[in-house]
Amino acid sequence: MTHVAIIGIGSPAGDDQAGWCVAHTLQRSDWPDHPSCQVSVIALDRPGTRLIRYLEGTDAAVLIDAMQGGREPGAIHRLDDPALLGQDTLASSHGLGVASALELARALDLLPETLILYGIEIGDVSFNAAPSAAVRHAAAVVAAMIEAEVAERWPCRMPLSVAKTPEPSLHACGSRER
Amino acid sequence: MDETQTRKVDIHVPVLARVEGEGALHLRIRGGAIETLTLQIYEPPRLFEKFLEGRSYEEVPDMVARICGICPVAYQISAVNALESLFGVGPGPWVHAMRRVLYCGEWIQSHCLHIHLLAAPDYFGYDSAIAMAHDHPDIVRRGLALQGLGNDIMSLLGARSVHPVGVKVGGFHHAPHPGDVAALLARLRAALPESEALVHWAAGIVVPDDDQAFTCVSMRDATEYPIHRGRVVASDGLAIDASAYDRHFAEYQVEHSTALYSRYRDAPYLVGPLARLNLNRDRLPDAIQQLMHDTGVTWPSRNMFNSMLARAIEVHYAISEAVRLLQDYAPVQEPAVAVTPRAGVGYGWSEAPRGLLWHRYEVDGEGHIVAARIVPPTSQNQARIEEDLRISLQAFGLQHGDDELRLHCEKVIRNYDPCISCATHFLKLKAERL
Repeated sequence: MTHVAIIGIGSPAGDDQAGWCVAHTLQRSDWPDHPSCQVSVIALDRPGTRLIRYLEGTDAAVLIDAMQGGREPGAIHRLDDPALLGQDTLASSHGLGVASALELARALDLLPETLILYGIEIGDVSFNAAPSAAVRHAAAVVAAMIEAEVAERWPCRMPLSVAKTPEPSLHACGSRER
Repeated sequence: MDETQTRKVDIHVPVLARVEGEGALHLRIRGGAIETLTLQIYEPPRLFEKFLEGRSYEEVPDMVARICGICPVAYQISAVNALESLFGVGPGPWVHAMRRVLYCGEWIQSHCLHIHLLAAPDYFGYDSAIAMAHDHPDIVRRGLALQGLGNDIMSLLGARSVHPVGVKVGGFHHAPHPGDVAALLARLRAALPESEALVHWAAGIVVPDDDQAFTCVSMRDATEYPIHRGRVVASDGLAIDASAYDRHFAEYQVEHSTALYSRYRDAPYLVGPLARLNLNRDRLPDAIQQLMHDTGVTWPSRNMFNSMLARAIEVHYAISEAVRLLQDYAPVQEPAVAVTPRAGVGYGWSEAPRGLLWHRYEVDGEGHIVAARIVPPTSQNQARIEEDLRISLQAFGLQHGDDELRLHCEKVIRNYDPCISCATHFLKLKAERL
């Protein structure tokens, strides 16, 4: 059984929901069961080291998070080597940031064999605001890219099973379009 | 030396964006003495006070849970305590016990995060938990496992571990399934030797000998170790109810910070695990009191560097308390009592992982929030942190370079586990030497 985890990371602050938008889009995908492959789609709110628990035991993980890399909101980054993030990306005041959590997982030998990271460039991060149209659009694009890549890269191909988690869904992206 | 030197430590600008703040310390040294020392701490709750206005009381527990990703339960419980006291609601022993269990989960996860990922690397000479994990993987794994157990308690009762949604005014939205409780109970029992080992391990860490005089403030209950009910006491004999809090504890503004500071009798004071233990040792089970005795530390402790050990002791207590409260678990038909809102002012508090968290709500006849006030532990400790830094830095020696000063400051600040705990890994230090 190949286990692929797709993990959208975010917080309830405007564009910082970018990762959640991708996860929610993929959770809505109608992916039927497959006996030899499991894809879990999860949205996590500032997980810190809890991220490690969701990586444990997976063969591949695709992470989607907000990024600030100096480009326009909605720009898409893709990293195949999370080491490129650098080590002390401790951006959160609560727990470790994603890059540090990944480094910690590596130190404890808990990283999956394959790790892909998508970053969506963000702008406004006002608390409780809906994500911007640019970020929602980028999230839809990233979701489509991930869906295609998962189907192509892993031998199980489609169809896949989707495990949903009760983790946060403050603003399901699609429902906030108005 | 007359010449002004302003050395600034460059801070790595993160690529991945989270939206919380970071700490900044401004230090001005003149003639070998500290002239000014100011610490800036990001303070999210203030934003929420305005945000809550006009909302229904029913929305409050879910909204305040979003203030903090680490201690959502503390915000929820302080809020429901305030609103239930105003509405004259007594949710009963089942709700009381389950809220206590939920809160234990939060203490466990928050304290384990702090001990293993933030504080311990300082004492073992590592610049991060990642470096420590390479050499001490078993210690870090144990910490992550205990932290995960805390998260799972929160998921059991809060439906999810971050921004839990289980708590409501009057009780809980649902009662956990007995099968889920039994499974978690078995894991909690199995973790007790681990948490006891954690206490021994923490006690074995050599910390600086740093005796300081300070006033401790925490809740105190007639029988229980304080978590979510009781009065507030201080080490000078004060004992008050939640409605009297703002007559004794004054918030004030300082020029250098947007955060509000707190003082008691015109002086800084301490809230948090060390204050709780110092004031409530006699409320712990005998076995844990014996364990505290065996650490060799003299209690009550006036050394803030014993804060990490205090957290380890509370982790062990919280696991044993969760076991005690869950071992005879039976679900109830109605996990909440009916609530009828009424106009007035309600006060409530609880012991967040970082210390006392006080809420005050003014509510109209329909149950809408007219005004909210939230005084979090970090802002209560802020004046004490600055006082501690002045004493510690002077003792450490101001002749040290900026990097050494910054590292020492980080260690001191981390004892308080403020919301900037992580950010102090790259504390912005602006040191001016005049």
